[in-house]
Amino acid sequence: MSVALALALCALQAPLAKTTVGIAARVEQLVLPGSELVVAHADRDAPLVLRIVATWPHGDALRYDLEFWALEAGEYDLRTLLARADGAALAPDELPPIPVTVGAVLSDKSAQPHVPGAARAERIGGYTKLAIAAGVVWVSGLAWLLWSGRKRRVAQQAAPERPRTLAERLAPLVERARDGQLTSSERSQLELSLVAFWRRKLGLESERPELAVAALRSHAQAGPLLVSLERWLHEPAHSESIDIAALLAPYRDLPPDALDEPARGTR
Amino acid sequence: MQAPAPLSQAELDRTRDFIQAVRERVGTVVVGQDVVVERLLIALFTGGHILLQGVPGLAKTLLVSVLARSIDLDFARIQFTIDLLPADILGSEILDQRTSEFRIRKGPVFTNLLLADEINRAAPKVQGALLEAMQERKVTIGNETFKLPAPFLVIATQNPIEQAGTFELPEAQLDRFMLVHRLVYPKPEEEREVLMRNAALGIEKSGKGAIARTEFDALAREPVGSTKELVDAMEAVHRVHVSETFVEHVVDLVGRSRVHPAVELGCSPRAGISLIKSARARALMHGRRYAIPEDLFALAEDVMIHRMRLKYEAIAEGVTNRMVLDELLSALGSGAERAHKPATASV
Repeated sequence: MSVALALALCALQAPLAKTTVGIAARVEQLVLPGSELVVAHADRDAPLVLRIVATWPHGDALRYDLEFWALEAGEYDLRTLLARADGAALAPDELPPIPVTVGAVLSDKSAQPHVPGAARAERIGGYTKLAIAAGVVWVSGLAWLLWSGRKRRVAQQAAPERPRTLAERLAPLVERARDGQLTSSERSQLELSLVAFWRRKLGLESERPELAVAALRSHAQAGPLLVSLERWLHEPAHSESIDIAALLAPYRDLPPDALDEPARGTR
Repeated sequence: MQAPAPLSQAELDRTRDFIQAVRERVGTVVVGQDVVVERLLIALFTGGHILLQGVPGLAKTLLVSVLARSIDLDFARIQFTIDLLPADILGSEILDQRTSEFRIRKGPVFTNLLLADEINRAAPKVQGALLEAMQERKVTIGNETFKLPAPFLVIATQNPIEQAGTFELPEAQLDRFMLVHRLVYPKPEEEREVLMRNAALGIEKSGKGAIARTEFDALAREPVGSTKELVDAMEAVHRVHVSETFVEHVVDLVGRSRVHPAVELGCSPRAGISLIKSARARALMHGRRYAIPEDLFALAEDVMIHRMRLKYEAIAEGVTNRMVLDELLSALGSGAERAHKPATASV
């Protein structure tokens, strides 16, 4: 038994397996003395990774199939990566050497990568900076809109433009009519304003205009006014015979609130 | 606007007598519908065309028939259907096998009074052919162009219900109609009179059999007015005075329709022209030599509603053309100065 072990140790001096970087290789049917072995915990940066593929009893020893691969070329001893499964300490010479060779794929003359620089990456990249800048612009624009809107609203509240009442609109038209200075557009406004005046006064605003006018025609005061206006404004033969001043006298000095509500309009 | 010459009282009276005679003749057969008769006469006197919208059974065809017979006018009726072709209306060239030459066969459009019944049932190309003839008052068949007789009036009808299989007239073609009048059901007392008259019609014996008489059988054959009297009335209409103030009213009203926030497409200048034309005719029919705002108020619905297209948002809100027009007229009548956006708009 001891002779065989010595022969085996002699034979183990030569590499038991050869491979190249990144390519897995196996050492099969390797008899190792003592209790069961497992792969010792290795750190992540270890240049070689070992895995026990299978284990069989072999007399008072055990027989193993080992698989390994390395990321760096060199000579390795797989023995250094093994430990007892039962946690017992492993003496340096308790196991025979398990030499393996990992060769390089690239030749020695091939170019070597540069050593990475020591500079650290910036915490805030270009895209983040751009996003922050856009956000600032957007918030500024929003703030400006809110501010300008508030300013306008305040200005409107400060000086509300009261819509002119129907009576207020009527007064200058009546004055200009008395002076004979009405344009055709103003004559149109005057006629329709007087119709509106009487519609409102007689509560005919909700009636359809043609029905309201028909009702006005039969009213004691509105009727003659309407007929006179029509003859003055639309019938040329009678345009000179109408006393405009007398016709419009009742509407000359109407108080602004002569009628209930302001006329609907945009001024 | 200057009328050629003011109407004399005698001319006015003569025209009023003619109109009254026509109205009375129509009244012998058609009960009520005074407004429709007025609108038809307005269209006839102004050379415009009229579209009557109403459900079946409101005496549309009878009305047009009696009007045609009252004034001794040629009358033709076309029932529009989906398979109608333009040649069925306008006419066509046919090959005379005896002479081996093409000859023209004029269509029913060559008449004075054309009733286009249910115009929305015909295909757009047929509608287009008729509307083109209405606009240009001439028809081209083959290589020859023929003028349509004068007067020429198209009275189209359209059923507002049963829209399946119909082709709604677009706004651009509706614009060709000077007036679009919406007929309503008669009042109870008028309907009672209709029933009583119908019950009294009796039957008409024909050969060995008999057939129930209809209102069409009751139409008097003799006209109460001549074509000359009609032409005189048309001339009289053109001599009705339209003041600058009235033109301002029209410009104001039409302009407001274009800036109303619920309106996508407002009234065209043709609407203004139609308002003035029809107002003149209405003034004459009411015994006036000048148009007044009442004419404008009365005719605005028939002239303007079909020329306004509402925005989708407004339609979704339940706004109708009638509501918009009421708002425009109220704004006009309230004396509110012309605005870019009426303050009373609800949309």
